Amino acid sequence: MHEVSIAIGMVKELTRIALENNAKKVTGVKLKIGKMSGIVADSLIFAFDAVKLEHPLMSSAAISIEEVPLVYECNTCKKTFETDNLSFQTCPFCGSYSLKLLSGEEMHIENVEIETEEESHV
Amino acid sequence: MCDVCGCGHSHDHSHDTKSPHPPFEKGGRGGILQNKVVDVNQSLLKANEDAAAGNRKHFDEDGIFAINIISSPGSGKTTLLEKTIDALKGEINIGVLEGDIETDLDAERIRKKGVPAVQLTTGGACHLDSILVHKGFHSLEHSLNGKRLDILFIENVGNLVCPSFFDLGEHLRVVLISVPEGHDKPLKYPKAIKTAQLLIISKTDLVQYFDFDMQKIKKDALSLNPSLNILEVSSKTGEGMDEWIKFLIHRLHR
Ligand SMILES: Nc1nc2c(ncn2[C@@H]2O[C@H](COP(=O)(O)OP(=O)(O)OP(=O)(O)O)[C@@H](O)[C@H]2O)c(=O)[nH]1
Ligand SMILES: [Zn+2]
Ligand SMILES: [Zn+2]
Ligand SMILES: [Zn+2]
Ligand SMILES: [Zn+2]
Repeated sequence: MHEVSIAIGMVKELTRIALENNAKKVTGVKLKIGKMSGIVADSLIFAFDAVKLEHPLMSSAAISIEEVPLVYECNTCKKTFETDNLSFQTCPFCGSYSLKLLSGEEMHIENVEIETEEESHV
Repeated sequence: MCDVCGCGHSHDHSHDTKSPHPPFEKGGRGGILQNKVVDVNQSLLKANEDAAAGNRKHFDEDGIFAINIISSPGSGKTTLLEKTIDALKGEINIGVLEGDIETDLDAERIRKKGVPAVQLTTGGACHLDSILVHKGFHSLEHSLNGKRLDILFIENVGNLVCPSFFDLGEHLRVVLISVPEGHDKPLKYPKAIKTAQLLIISKTDLVQYFDFDMQKIKKDALSLNPSLNILEVSSKTGEGMDEWIKFLIHRLHR
């Protein structure tokens, strides 16, 4: 369950982002998690929902995760392909071993939804 | 001293990321609640990555080659360090940061070899992070009395999963898998293998007692990470130690 470690790091990041933006509350967070990032999305959701309870600033934040597929480009024939196989690949079109990973390793916070209290100018 | 992070010359600094003031005051002026979406598009572990970059800069400026050693509990990290110190003593100045969840035992073993060592106790966490390493590095510096280091070994907490997510600012990441653990470990712990530059298959003196397929473990590891270096080492018999020492010296001088 290393997703707990990741969730704790994530809460720290969210706290920083919330402070920078004068947030009263974090209401949501959207993540991008690559298939090959080593993070299991469901485990991270579970871990975050447990860890957030200790942090009033984000205890009601909803987490949503977009899973990013594993996509390679072949350096030889320049075709791209998607796969579910996490170990080293060969190009299905030409058999080349020389591949470039285009996506699948992401572990990103895309955006954060916050509630701020703007001073009223009335 | 710490010019890089601007933390002054005090050795007791902690780079606290807490805000100097609370995020909002209660009973404030009474405003309008607004919802907004802040685009961040940054790594989940940005705080760790920033501190890791700071560490790497520290190490580079001081001419220190930093090595992060990752393995399951008991794969032989500390024993390998003890033997490495024996082999390099007098030639190369070594310092060690010892990651452990609770105890001081590993650092004690290293100090017995006459090498400065600082224990980093994570207080429950199953991995080292770069902020803890930064603090540990400064307290290690303090105990050197001006002597400079060539190599800093960082023995991570015994765990093959979590440590592989946390860059410590190291130049070389070494993963140990010992023979008794089995040859299937690379495929089970791909992140560790993918992020390392060197795999040491340790306790090779035990290979005759286990159904351990040396060819398979190498093939699987290379399929995950084609540029991985692989060494077979027994700290007990000394087999493979020469290659490991050669590898270290080669990396140190390039
Ligand atoms: N047979 C054999 N035993 C070894 C070898 N290297 C280490 N050991 C033994 O394995 C056990 C664990 O070794 P350590 O060096 O403490 O392992 P570690 O990875 O530092 O352990 P943690 O810090 O607790 O994760 C000890 O009993 C060592 O004597 C080896 O090459 N061969
Ligand atoms: Zn863990
Ligand atoms: Zn191709
Ligand atoms: Zn510093
Ligand atoms: Zn140890």
